[in-house]
Amino acid sequence: MGNGFLALVKKDCRMLASGKFFLMAMGFLVLYTAYVNLGYLRFMRMPPYNVYLYDPAGTQTEKSSLVWSVSSVEEMDAALLSDANGVGLDASAGEVRVVLYKGAEHVDRHRADYALSLLEPAASRTPEVLGTNTPEQKARKEITCELLFFELAAVGFLGIAAVLFKEKGMGVIRVHAVLPLRKELFLLSKLAVFLLSDLVFAVLLTLLNVGLADGAAVLPAVLLQTAVLSLLMALVGLLCALLLKDFRQFTLAYLVIAIFAATPVFLSANTSVKFDWIGWHPFYHIYMGLKNAYFGTAISPVYYAGAVAAIVLLFLMVQLAFHREMGKEG
Amino acid sequence: MIEVKNLTFSYGKDKQALRGLDFTVEDGEIFGFLGPNGSGKSTTQKILTGILKGYGGKVSLFGQDVSNPHGQEFFRKIGVLFEFPYLYANLSAVDNLNYFASFYPKEQRRDIGELLDALEFKRDFLRKPVSSYSKGMRQRVSMARALVSNPRLLFLDEPTSGLDPSGAVLFRRIIEQERKKGTTVFVTTHNMVDADLLCDRVAFISSGNLVALDTPKRLKEKNSNHRVVIDCLVRGQRETRTIEAPELEAGIPFAHDEIISIHSQEPTLEDMFIQYTGRGLS
Repeated sequence: MGNGFLALVKKDCRMLASGKFFLMAMGFLVLYTAYVNLGYLRFMRMPPYNVYLYDPAGTQTEKSSLVWSVSSVEEMDAALLSDANGVGLDASAGEVRVVLYKGAEHVDRHRADYALSLLEPAASRTPEVLGTNTPEQKARKEITCELLFFELAAVGFLGIAAVLFKEKGMGVIRVHAVLPLRKELFLLSKLAVFLLSDLVFAVLLTLLNVGLADGAAVLPAVLLQTAVLSLLMALVGLLCALLLKDFRQFTLAYLVIAIFAATPVFLSANTSVKFDWIGWHPFYHIYMGLKNAYFGTAISPVYYAGAVAAIVLLFLMVQLAFHREMGKEG
Repeated sequence: MIEVKNLTFSYGKDKQALRGLDFTVEDGEIFGFLGPNGSGKSTTQKILTGILKGYGGKVSLFGQDVSNPHGQEFFRKIGVLFEFPYLYANLSAVDNLNYFASFYPKEQRRDIGELLDALEFKRDFLRKPVSSYSKGMRQRVSMARALVSNPRLLFLDEPTSGLDPSGAVLFRRIIEQERKKGTTVFVTTHNMVDADLLCDRVAFISSGNLVALDTPKRLKEKNSNHRVVIDCLVRGQRETRTIEAPELEAGIPFAHDEIISIHSQEPTLEDMFIQYTGRGLS
């Protein structure tokens, strides 16, 4: 049994290598790391809006260094015309008047409050800070979590399905039906290869983007969540590849999962948008599991029980579909 | 080796694929299973190879009931050549064979190089990916895959499909050699030449029923009109005469100058098939 399993693993690795899967994963790792370090963090450090102040009498003595001073109302209007998200502050009449191009009402309130807050001393509005993460640490963990979730949910799912579609197309699944091999090993070897590949990816992505010390501290919890998500997505990918006729149908299923399943999860978990039903969305709990792992928050045992049950159920369904595929005509 | 009693199978409620098949295949026999598309050949083979469950009746291989959960021991004893050459297209012939052979105990495996040589596989292609092979070459690798484990029972589905005439002759020779080693061969085919030349016995299946089972020779003899057609020269003129075969016992029963040819009027196996099933094989 051991030799057979090793042969299957070796074959699956070769299939993935010939399909450039590992190369693609490395490419994604480089791309994500470059995006986090060269793009995302810089973006997060930037002020949300540019603020332009016209204060000919110099009444605003406590203004922040983030405020741009302009010498006339015309100059401020010109600046706002070219930067429609910016906020103008006109202090020429004594009291400060906020000038801006209208957007959404709640955003406009935020823009105005933010601009006015820059005229006050920084210490006057220092809130009580919860948690120990610095803003950069928080940003790094958040974006790494999102990228890892995307990689596992979308790219890994696509990868395993692509391999199985290839094998289906070549008809070799039927050959395995008559080999002296425990049939579930055919599935288990694929799961093992993808799990291992996802775990390596998670280690590298976390250490490169969260940092060595911070990354190592959260790694055990992150790897556990990676294993859960990797197994679930690989099983869903296998099931889709076994049940669907061709890769075109699969692409449609993939779009449904990517757009209709993942989008509300990202919105609910990362923005102020809240859906009442999001608690029923399995991806939401999986994503939050990963996020909690990055931020060291405890995860409910109920979640683990649900994840194990889902994995077992999916595996049984995949086995059924696999046996059906083996018995098909040529 | 194979014993099938009252075998029935249906795909769903209304699609009865097998309607009570009875046959046995002896050790070391080459048994032909012939039938048109949709007649139940593949279903029978899938049941025999342990892929399909849920059938009615009794099927035993190697003296054991197939419906009992059979472990890997069963699959170690059989080799299966599918109708299409199912191979990993990105791997070479050698890599494919090494991979499939790795599931069998070392002492059971045959030497891959010798096997491919016996199948006259072009050496230049040994390390090239299967995707670059012709259909005939793929069929050779598939045959090597079926034989690599030295099976005691060999299932062959359209073994000479995709081969040129010399390839087909080679495959028939290889199958013959396997039989000489004591391997039992179950051949599913449309090819009447293969069935006639290779098989000790053939079974005709039509619409899930076994309609005839005998040696090819006896099947043809049973249905022969026992007549002989003689082409000859009589007084310088070419003539064709048909006589009853027993009349020949006393020599040619008419005056003639020269015999050009004598043809028996024995039907072909295909004629027999059409006679038994009312359908052609294609």
